[in-house]
Amino acid sequence: MHSRRLSVSAGLLAVIASALPLGRPLLAHHSFAMFDSVNKATITGTVTRFEWTNPHVFIEMDVPAQNGETKHWSVELGSPSILQRSGWKFSDVKPGEKVTAIVNPLRDGRPGGMLYRLTLADGSMRGNGGPPPADPGGK
Amino acid sequence: MKTFGAFAVLLALVASSASAQTASAVGDPRLSGAWEPMRGGPGAPPPTPPSPITLKAPYAAEWQARRAAQDEATKKGEPLATLGSECLPYGMPTMMAVANYPIEILQTPGQVTILTEVHSEVRRVFLDRPQLKAEDIPPGYYGRSIGKWEGNTLVIDSLGIDPKVAGYQSLPHSARLRITERISLASPDVLQDQITLDDPVVLEKPVTYTLAYRRLPKYEMVEFVCDNNREYTDDKGVVRMKVQEK
Repeated sequence: MHSRRLSVSAGLLAVIASALPLGRPLLAHHSFAMFDSVNKATITGTVTRFEWTNPHVFIEMDVPAQNGETKHWSVELGSPSILQRSGWKFSDVKPGEKVTAIVNPLRDGRPGGMLYRLTLADGSMRGNGGPPPADPGGK
Repeated sequence: MKTFGAFAVLLALVASSASAQTASAVGDPRLSGAWEPMRGGPGAPPPTPPSPITLKAPYAAEWQARRAAQDEATKKGEPLATLGSECLPYGMPTMMAVANYPIEILQTPGQVTILTEVHSEVRRVFLDRPQLKAEDIPPGYYGRSIGKWEGNTLVIDSLGIDPKVAGYQSLPHSARLRITERISLASPDVLQDQITLDDPVVLEKPVTYTLAYRRLPKYEMVEFVCDNNREYTDDKGVVRMKVQEK
């Protein structure tokens, strides 16, 4: 069942990738190569800061770990310009809000990543420069 | 009455001559406004294949080695730093199409101004003036741009681009790089910029490629001040993201 889901997701991703670079934002400022473009991580936690800044927007969040401690994550997004044109507002994310982010994590293993899809406390979703992409079926 | 008639004719002549002069100075007003780079998709003009790139020795070997190093670093997940990753301007000709960031064209008498959204870069194109010699222009990110209208096509000649400014496809260039652009409408809402790079020191022959843009009606250009750059360059020249420690 699990493998079937993965293969469906992979097929879907291939279709999306061939149509538009939805999941992967058009990065101008720096290369995407520092992030894992294949695997994704899903993190749920509390926003500590939302930086609507150039060259990138950042969501800082505390994510509860299994051992009862919290791990702090830095999630990078596109620029305000790119996000605004895809429907974002500078006030969409608030400190203290519980959010779930699917990210392409940093390849060097530090707790950071590039946003793939964000789910806000009210259940609404945001992409990273395009419409919210389909569930990648990541872990 | 007769005198008044003659005066009216004279006034009309002066007015029509003034309006003709204004029209000539302003060129094609339809080029004004905000434009988003198009990378194919519906409504995009048929892609024009860029002309082959042939470099003179030793630049060819240097260019290939640099591109190979960039590809290798990217494959390892350790992309090399660029002017862009350090929040420095893209300069000419890269600034004319960075990802899908819009550009804005403004026309005033004697000048066309091109603004980019990413990094808020500014190019001033002075109309109908003589160009200087390359050695008389202080090297910069945009060079000195002189424009003239050929019908509805704005032709821009740029000289004086600093060799440190990254080129098209990471091409190296000398202080003698000359960029010729032909900017016109491909259709009412599609703009094209045919760019020719001519560098007698580095290139065997000029390289030409064409950019296309989609009109963004009523678009309000967004501020872009790079004051929170969390990408840094490590001691190996690799770009890394600063992760906020709690």
